[in-house]
Amino acid sequence: MSSPITTTAVAAAPAAHRAPARRLSAASWLAIVFFAGALLFGAVALALGDVFYLRLATEALIFGGLALSVDLLLGRVGLLPLGQALFFGLGAYVSALVLKHWTDSIWLALAVALVFSALAGLVGGLIAIRSKGVYFALISFGLAQVVSKLIYNTRELGASDGIIGVPAAAMAPGLGSGTPQVFFLLVLGLIGAFYLALRYLMDTPMGRQLDAIRINEHRVAFLGVDAWRYKLGAFVAAACIAGVSGALYPMLRGFVSPELMFFQVSGHAVINVIVGGTGTLIGPLYGSAILTGLRSVVGSFTAHHHIVIGVLFVVVVILMPRGLIGYATPVLQRWLDRRHHSAGDRT
Amino acid sequence: MNHALDWLQFVLAPQMINGLSIGVAVVLMALGLTIIFGLLDVINMAHGEFYAIGAYLAVALLGLGLSFWWALVLTPLLMAVLGYATERGLIQRVFHSKDRHTLTLLLTFGVAVVLEDALKIVFGANPLRVEAPIAGATEVLGLFFPNYRLFVMLLGGALITAVWLLVFRTSLGAVVRAAAYDRHMSASLGVPVQRVYAATFAFGVALAGIAGVLLAPIYSVFPTMGRDFVLIAFSVVIIGGMGSIKGAVLAGLLLTQVQSISSLYISPVWSDPLLFGIMVLVLMWRPQGLFGKLGSA
Amino acid sequence: MTPILSVQSLSVQFGALRAVNDVSFEARQGAITAVIGPNGAGKSSLFNLISGAIRPTAGSVRFDGVDVTAQPPHRLLASGLSRSFQITNLFFDLSVRENLRLAAQFLEQGRGLLRPVRHSATARRRVDELLEQFDLGGKADDLAGYLSHGEQRRLEIAVSLASRPRMLLLDEPTQGMSHSDTHETEALIRRLSRDHGLTILLVEHDVELVMNLSDHVVVMHQGQKLAEGRPAEVRANAAVQTAYFGEKT
Repeated sequence: MSSPITTTAVAAAPAAHRAPARRLSAASWLAIVFFAGALLFGAVALALGDVFYLRLATEALIFGGLALSVDLLLGRVGLLPLGQALFFGLGAYVSALVLKHWTDSIWLALAVALVFSALAGLVGGLIAIRSKGVYFALISFGLAQVVSKLIYNTRELGASDGIIGVPAAAMAPGLGSGTPQVFFLLVLGLIGAFYLALRYLMDTPMGRQLDAIRINEHRVAFLGVDAWRYKLGAFVAAACIAGVSGALYPMLRGFVSPELMFFQVSGHAVINVIVGGTGTLIGPLYGSAILTGLRSVVGSFTAHHHIVIGVLFVVVVILMPRGLIGYATPVLQRWLDRRHHSAGDRT
Repeated sequence: MNHALDWLQFVLAPQMINGLSIGVAVVLMALGLTIIFGLLDVINMAHGEFYAIGAYLAVALLGLGLSFWWALVLTPLLMAVLGYATERGLIQRVFHSKDRHTLTLLLTFGVAVVLEDALKIVFGANPLRVEAPIAGATEVLGLFFPNYRLFVMLLGGALITAVWLLVFRTSLGAVVRAAAYDRHMSASLGVPVQRVYAATFAFGVALAGIAGVLLAPIYSVFPTMGRDFVLIAFSVVIIGGMGSIKGAVLAGLLLTQVQSISSLYISPVWSDPLLFGIMVLVLMWRPQGLFGKLGSA
Repeated sequence: MTPILSVQSLSVQFGALRAVNDVSFEARQGAITAVIGPNGAGKSSLFNLISGAIRPTAGSVRFDGVDVTAQPPHRLLASGLSRSFQITNLFFDLSVRENLRLAAQFLEQGRGLLRPVRHSATARRRVDELLEQFDLGGKADDLAGYLSHGEQRRLEIAVSLASRPRMLLLDEPTQGMSHSDTHETEALIRRLSRDHGLTILLVEHDVELVMNLSDHVVVMHQGQKLAEGRPAEVRANAAVQTAYFGEKT
């Protein structure tokens, strides 16, 4: 399933084959704006003594991590995962169990979640990666349905209530998820690290092969590349990103439930990616932020925010399939190019 | 020996017959899905929602005082209108883009999200019950079976046969198959391709709707029923082969039998995983399904 | 010149159709071998068999003494075989340079997978070489989809050459080309063979091109090998003439 809705992303990525550009690309500027904006938001919240919106923003970032993992698969490899919440939820459960029964160290909880996610990703990938297109989507969907139902019915894991009473986790003595401002920064840093790692990856031969697989998987084999291995690797990486993001959730909210693996969560992640801009990597983060905010605003008026988001999504798919950042990037790039030329720089 | 016969008569057979009543509804739904895919090359992720809407329409019509029989007749007609509008209004807009497969997948997925919440808004989140129109039971093989279930089996079987005849034995069916095979050629032969596409989608949706009405008295009616059911519908279509009518019928009947017989021995929690596991195995061993052709999807 | 490619009793069956029926021949190292035949002769199927795109129902393919018969396509390059495609099969949404870089990455043998692309110096140098050799330098940063047909066909060959294979399989390289482009391609293929010692197997419709270019010609007809030999011999062969009777070339 080649997906040219993402070509703008590839064309707009910094051209590594040219002499290193001394100016930043539009994509980089949009990323800077996002993270700077997030820091500004944190500062304002701190100044105003707000905790509610800070927690909401942290949650938006956490789900942004899940969206990133979806974008890696959808926007870069060309596979549509309709069950990525599986890894998110598994990471959340693992984290909750570690924090509740073993240690309150954030780092240990994240590390265990990472290992677990990698293993789960390997198993899931071995099952799912042989398939493409709608088959992959359905296997991904099915895996999430099946595992979430199993957990829903497992008494030891809290069944439908999930696991509650997860204690605050500590980064360092005295500093932990109990402090919203500190935790916000930690999550921002972590998601930022994921973003940068993926940005970097796309400029490596490994990342470029993933793009090539998305664009013309058939030919890739004749270039000596075993596409299956690359796709599996990407799937495991995506599972890790989703799992570690999920591991942050109980640290924020103090509980986990099987609903974290339900289709709702997977579906929202896909919507965040499409609205934000498939393949742009920063787009899904914008998408998560905007839609979390939107859900909260609409949700304060009515319980039916899903339908609003759903309609918005359908409109985007029909009218703006490349998403917000997908359209903004080339526009911004042209503007930057014009400014660059008129300023008379020599490159 | 007596034990075995008893087991056959009083344990296995009833399960199989019950399974058959579910099976025909599953087949109807799978037929709709596979016909939509076979002709339009569209994966209708909203198919489960159309099934749910069918059930809810029955609830609504019954609430208006109409009898179940009226609901059974009117629902597919109303569903067909909804399906036609969806295809003309939404799906056709992305049909010509280069990205068609991804976009229609996402689009129908979005439509599913919207429809599911719409149902919740209109009807509330609580499960609703629909009274079976036929009461009582009939003795078959020394056991009593609810008459409604027997009716579902008969009607379902008749509908499946009608669909098969329509597709393979009528000129309308031939026209539709021609349009599926070669769109441009059919258009230049005067076939109104756009309308055929919309009508086919409408037809598939109507089938899902009928399945919803038929199963409403058996399962209760709740907003997420579509999402739960769509996995089995897709599993049937994938195992049977996307676009294959024969595959949808055989896989649908077979898989529901597997489900009902296995429910004798394993807890219902494992029912979905079992089905899913079969789907994955089939995909790994024979990606085009039992009767499908490689190159679809 | 020793045989480097050896096809033995190769057959493939699609249902009732024997697309390739018991075909055997050899291609010598450093030579240009061509496979020709009227439409439906089975040339494409033969080609796909040799390049691992489809599996044979019988027979074998040996390259440089190694049995490569059932090898999956991605192992072919490691064996030293590379192929180009009849229907241009490039990465249209990527630049010319990136197309070549992807192909040249093979030369890095898995090194530097997670280092930035610019660190793969071997691949980079190869790309520059190819851009010059195939006269695509001016279009290096253009998207492959925007090239003219002839340029795309050139790029197609360049991509298949990037990994420095020992043998190149060319599938109808002049497909859809204008006369001037065809002549250029002919010269290119000759250069590759003479100057670089590359072994070439090509499937072609353009009989004249084949007669000018090849050292050895294999004629197929209805799935079977009809004749083989030097161009002049084959041209004079009565059976070949009958098979082509009425065929436009």
